[in-house]
Amino acid sequence: MPTTSAPSATGISSDPILDRLSSSDCDVKFKAIREVKNRIIGNRTKKLSYIKLGAVPKVAAALADSNSTPDLVVQSAAALGSFACGVDAGVRAVLDAGAFPHLIRLLSAPDEKVVDAAARSLRMIYQSKLAPKYDFFQEENMQFLLLLLKSENENLTGLGAGIIIHSCETNVEQNVLCHAGVLEKLTTLLDGSLSQREASLESLAVIIKCNPEAVSKFVELHSGRALSSVTELTKDRYSRTRLLACLCLLSVKNSSSCYLQDIAIKTKLVYILLELLDDSGQVGDEAPFAFSSLIAEKEDMQKLAFEANAIDKFNCLLQKSPLHPKRLEGVFLALGDLCSKLECCRSSFLSLQVLNLVVDALTHEDASVRSAACICLRSVSRSIKNLSAGCFMNKRVVFPLVQLLSDPCTSVQVAALGAISNIVVDFMPHKSTFIQCGGIKELVQLTKSMDSSLRLNAVWALRNMVFLADKVCKDGIFVELTASSMASLICDSEPSVQEQALALVRNFVDGCVYSVEYAFAEDGIILNAVGRLLRKSSKVEIGMQGLYVLSNIASGKEFHKEAVMQLLFPQHDNGSLPSFNQFLQSNDSRMRTAAVWVIVNLTFPKSVGSFGRTVNLHSLGIVSQLKRMVEDTCMDVKLRAEHALGQINNTFGEN
Amino acid sequence: MSLFWIVIRQLAEIEAMAASKKVITREEWEKKLSDVKIKKEDMNKLVMNFLVTEGYVAAAEEFRKESGTEPDIDLATITDRMAVKTAVQNGNVEDAIEKVNDLNPEILDTNPQLFFHLQQQRLIELIRNGKIEEALEFAQEELAPRGEENQGFLEELEQTVALLAFDDVTECPVKDLLDISQRLKTASEVNAAILTSQSHEKDPKLPSLLKMLIRSQNLLDEKAAYPRVTDLSTAILEDPAV
Repeated sequence: MPTTSAPSATGISSDPILDRLSSSDCDVKFKAIREVKNRIIGNRTKKLSYIKLGAVPKVAAALADSNSTPDLVVQSAAALGSFACGVDAGVRAVLDAGAFPHLIRLLSAPDEKVVDAAARSLRMIYQSKLAPKYDFFQEENMQFLLLLLKSENENLTGLGAGIIIHSCETNVEQNVLCHAGVLEKLTTLLDGSLSQREASLESLAVIIKCNPEAVSKFVELHSGRALSSVTELTKDRYSRTRLLACLCLLSVKNSSSCYLQDIAIKTKLVYILLELLDDSGQVGDEAPFAFSSLIAEKEDMQKLAFEANAIDKFNCLLQKSPLHPKRLEGVFLALGDLCSKLECCRSSFLSLQVLNLVVDALTHEDASVRSAACICLRSVSRSIKNLSAGCFMNKRVVFPLVQLLSDPCTSVQVAALGAISNIVVDFMPHKSTFIQCGGIKELVQLTKSMDSSLRLNAVWALRNMVFLADKVCKDGIFVELTASSMASLICDSEPSVQEQALALVRNFVDGCVYSVEYAFAEDGIILNAVGRLLRKSSKVEIGMQGLYVLSNIASGKEFHKEAVMQLLFPQHDNGSLPSFNQFLQSNDSRMRTAAVWVIVNLTFPKSVGSFGRTVNLHSLGIVSQLKRMVEDTCMDVKLRAEHALGQINNTFGEN
Repeated sequence: MSLFWIVIRQLAEIEAMAASKKVITREEWEKKLSDVKIKKEDMNKLVMNFLVTEGYVAAAEEFRKESGTEPDIDLATITDRMAVKTAVQNGNVEDAIEKVNDLNPEILDTNPQLFFHLQQQRLIELIRNGKIEEALEFAQEELAPRGEENQGFLEELEQTVALLAFDDVTECPVKDLLDISQRLKTASEVNAAILTSQSHEKDPKLPSLLKMLIRSQNLLDEKAAYPRVTDLSTAILEDPAV
């Protein structure tokens, strides 16, 4: 059968190799497959060319042919494995060619070389996300997996581990594996060869991750000897083994608060992972990610890391450019975690001038690096002291950040918004830098994005931008954003966006009397939106932000106070507004505090209409509710309630 | 191995005792050495480890027969590994690559640095043989894409290609690449990768023990005069200079 020639300009398209791959002469076929194998191994570009050329189905055909000699099968399996190694298009082509079931079948072949080759290829396939998911719930599948793990052959045990690493995702799957005795099998492999040890550690970590039940099973295995074997391996001479042992211990530590909590082991993990950063290969690329998960959200771990001079270490690493993008990303994420809570870390970070390196990375060609640099910047800019000193609000930092708001990659945009949100919480003189860099226009654009995470973070950034801003700044933002857009953000489909939009309005109407006017622009479109949202939302955060908006407005002039009264206590109550008493009686003390604040501002005694409003509040039962609130368990509520009552008594006393 | 640790511990004890530089006579020293008990099998294992790692198959086979020490790896795999190493040492890099791929296709597929160095060696051999056109085509076709994937490779590639720019390579600043030592370097890198893929240590233990001996002697020299071993090939104790 003639093969179709592929008319294309690339070098190998005129290659007669396709014909030879499907030659009827076994010897010709063998040589052709071996030739393809030798050309593609280690060579990504060649893999892609041959995949495009359609070589994979022809190579796979030799695997399925029952007339193929074992030597031919070995070459075919090896070539398919190489196609699948590190190239997703290759995995897809191998799967599409139907080679997968044949490879599985060959695992039980009599010839050991065939078994090895098939197992290696399957392992390559299982390293890709595209590999078919292994169903652990089928009895025969589990038996087969146990058989693989029990095997003497390293390639088969490695395949077993690879299947677990690829397919074990849910807690139920983890438990099924534990129940079937997989943990025991895997721990036996810890005493095996280097590759078995690594495969075992990696799959153990997958099975116990975020699963306290599996963790206790593992910890109690062989009365704790399994855990001590893993602990011992953190001192192994091979850096990869050390890293995997650490990851395994991390899985134990992070998924349960009962194990590995003593300071000695914590410190040890910090030091081992810091030392692994020096590895020049893949281990060094992965170590910062492991370090991140060791310290993320844990202040005590961050403290230990700080004492181990982690910031210094990362700084030294960053000086060695150019770093592999993966490693760079990991280092920034780790630094971000380090600086997320502790001011001492941030100070050290800034005094070592790591900031410059992070800023440089904002324009890195790799999106993950840009995003990680933003995340790091967000953590560092939590430092109030340095924010006030204007450390971040300068063109060198702000300009690239604003550029990132129009990044093609959404995760970068979100990360940049996170950093901007912090940096704009700044004090007067610096905000103009952000405006000069065109930041406001970009932010306003993003509030109209289809992506809700972008809308959320853009509104958040604007909210922080408006915080304590002066009139010029507020006016500039208001003109850009417009009252009607703000009203639609308040009515956004996402509750989280609604909440931030209310907080934005709250900051707009905060401060001098002119501020309050923003809420009344375009016939009070904003105020109406706030009222509507308060009526229909049951979320505490939203109610609270809404009440603070009203409280700020009620601090304005007579007209403003009356508008709030109208909104909260309409004369023709249509019944759909939850009564204000419900806010006062909320289970959440923050909500009660916000509600009392509104009353405090409405009853401010120097105002002309205070008396009338007080009488109204009295007749609505608000005053008697306030009297009960003087006994509130929350000190904030109690004090505000006393304050409001004082004003009310004052007003009645005067008249 | 335990021998050396024991010696080191004793040296440390002596060190602790010595306020000023202490003199240890040959008799004292030899007595101390004879107190250290070392199992013959451990010494044999050390030798076998050296022979296997360095790839001396015939010697390993002979040593196994004579001493009864079992190698920790199938001796047949050494033959394959040595064939690869020899091929690189002789400049037959393509042959070496095919042999590695037959041995275990994963080695070069998962070790980009080694793969690049082998391809680089291939380029060097082409240049050495004056096949300039072929060398250029090879550099462009096979090596340039790797350089695009990795900045470090690109720099190494540029250096290698610089060999082409000089009519008289002895004037080229990277002329060392043409030296036989470059072949040996590449060969030992492949050797190490194959050993690792067989779950075997890539370096023999004996040389690092000798390094430890030298270091501990150097440390002790500051504190004491004792019969030291200077010539490692004979391991003769030299009388302390008093």
